[in-house]
Amino acid sequence: MALLELLANGLVFSSIIVLASIGLSLVYSIADFANFAHGDTMAVGAYAALLAFGVIGGVGPTVLALPVGFFLSLAVGGAVAALVAVITHVLVYEPLEVDSIGLLITSIGVAFVYRAIIQLRFGSNPVEFGIPLQRPIDALVPLGIRITVHEIAIVASAAILVVGLHLLLQYTDLGRKMRATADNPSLARVAGIRTRRIEWWTWIIGAGLAGVGGGFLGLYNQLSPRMGFDILLVVFAAVILGGIGSVYGAMAGGLLIGVINQLMPAISNVAVALPLVPNVGPAYADTVAFLIMVAVLLVRPSGIAGGETT
Amino acid sequence: MSLRERYGGMTRAEQGVSLFVCGFTALLVVALLTGGLTPSYTLYLAGLTGMYVLLSLGLNAQWGYTGLINFSVAAFFGLGAYGAALVTASNSPLAIPGGVLVGLVLAVVGSAVVATAIAIPTLRLRADYLAIASLGLAEVVRQIVLNQRDWTNGSGGLRGIPDVFAGWPVLGPLPGELPGLQFAEYAVGIPGLFRIRVLGFTLGEPFWTDLLNFVAVVVFVAAVYLLLRRVHRSPWGRVLRTIRSDEELASALGKDTYAFKLQSFVLGSVVMALGGVFYAYLVAYVDPGDLEPINTFYVWIAVILGGSGSNRGAMFGGFVVVAIREGTRFASDILPARLPVDVPVLVDVYGAIVSDFGSTRLLIVGLLIVLVMRLRPEGVLPPQRELLWPSALEETDE
Repeated sequence: MALLELLANGLVFSSIIVLASIGLSLVYSIADFANFAHGDTMAVGAYAALLAFGVIGGVGPTVLALPVGFFLSLAVGGAVAALVAVITHVLVYEPLEVDSIGLLITSIGVAFVYRAIIQLRFGSNPVEFGIPLQRPIDALVPLGIRITVHEIAIVASAAILVVGLHLLLQYTDLGRKMRATADNPSLARVAGIRTRRIEWWTWIIGAGLAGVGGGFLGLYNQLSPRMGFDILLVVFAAVILGGIGSVYGAMAGGLLIGVINQLMPAISNVAVALPLVPNVGPAYADTVAFLIMVAVLLVRPSGIAGGETT
Repeated sequence: MSLRERYGGMTRAEQGVSLFVCGFTALLVVALLTGGLTPSYTLYLAGLTGMYVLLSLGLNAQWGYTGLINFSVAAFFGLGAYGAALVTASNSPLAIPGGVLVGLVLAVVGSAVVATAIAIPTLRLRADYLAIASLGLAEVVRQIVLNQRDWTNGSGGLRGIPDVFAGWPVLGPLPGELPGLQFAEYAVGIPGLFRIRVLGFTLGEPFWTDLLNFVAVVVFVAAVYLLLRRVHRSPWGRVLRTIRSDEELASALGKDTYAFKLQSFVLGSVVMALGGVFYAYLVAYVDPGDLEPINTFYVWIAVILGGSGSNRGAMFGGFVVVAIREGTRFASDILPARLPVDVPVLVDVYGAIVSDFGSTRLLIVGLLIVLVMRLRPEGVLPPQRELLWPSALEETDE
């Protein structure tokens, strides 16, 4: 049965969604608006990683069939995405005198500006990192799982970053301040937390993770200027499923949505056998994610984590 | 009231907008006379403007009146366009019998049904959730149009859509019966300074057909505008405005805000579908690319730039969007491919911008959204006196 393989693929795709949804959720809770530019921030990170990879390329030994230079490039991509996000925050969002809906609309404009600049520099056609594709790991093929070393690298890196973020949020001063600001900004300010600085850190962490996620998405698929916008709704679905503002909810939501997205072939096979269910093929994988999102919004707007803020 | 007095009575913003619209129209007329634009392209531009005006009026009825964030404009536009195209296109897989009116009814009924189906669950959501959910549902509609080949012909699109009045008793054969008007070419100018050639084209049957289409758009835009203005000023419209500024206040006054929001959403969606119907006849071809999210945001720009809640603002916004859409296309033809001066970085940036006008358009759209929200979040023509009954205005003036 190919179910195991689909599950494994789902785990890989989830890792990317989780990286993206953490940032979206952090910004939602601390800057208090739905950031539609988050997907394009991922694309910024991916293309910055591409540029960096062109310079530092195959530096160093290979880890999991990827040169160390690739991981350095991803770090550069994350840093560039963080820098771009902070600059956008200072130049665009902070001086605005509008409510959170106004910020939401503005973020769409920001998303278009990011994408237009990427298109002007790199063209609209998809590009690739140019790392040779790997064959599926031989030891796992008998189990029916066709998964490459690169995909293991994606899952492992995402796991490291998520654990790192958990430690940061729970055990460091910055993490405690971030959680306090997300919970109640006025109270945090009265308690002496410089919330403006915390907002900066939110953008740095959120956009940084999104940039790294974008780089992995580029490795997993291809890089294209629309890659971020195309995945944005799936990321929103994950954040809403997990409960807006909850980082741990976003992680769980990302995992679920990613797996469901990749399981679509199996789900549609089952659905065909049932009466009264339309034949939904794998082409509708994103559609199913949106419908889950709308259903969650209706039934339980606080998400599966129950509105527990980070 | 003389023209001068009317101009004097306007606010500064109104004066600026009037001058912009007059100047832009004058520019089009000059371009038409000097051969920069062909007559049928000019009519296409005018029809496109009418279509965007319909779309922005529809969005304005949702966002401007009631404050509903609808990011599925492209979906309703697409429903209208596909509704019209499925009935009349030559390669329509469904082959529904009927003509223009059947298509129009199908588009209006279809969009009203879908709008109700989308609105019933989502309108209870918080405003920002509605934004995300509606964008998601727009993608669902686009995916269905793209993937259900047996209904919509998928990415191949629908072509061969006839003229609006083809087969009608009087209006159908009319363009063929009208005489072809031939304009001789003249050369005008000041001797010794400059000479340009003007006119020198023939207006034949295709022109009369386009003109008839254009007249149909104008009639619909005028009717929709007058209707929306009337309902906006009515007690019903006042409730919508109250909901927009404070929904809890409206429900405290005993209004069923959910029902009002639903009505406003369906009204706006039907107007958008009308815009889609006209688009199908204007370009005689529809494909799933017309349902791309970018088209939603063109309309959003028109509404927030024009002034949320203002019907006149929405019309002005429609003008501006066509100016951006077609102006960039025009600019790519006339701008030189290389910068005349040789400044290292500037040359590359200029080259990239000139060679890829699709991306430049996206950049302009993005910057415009950011700038409007930064500099004038209420828009160029925010609703002011247009919300008052004219008679009430006269009483205060005395």
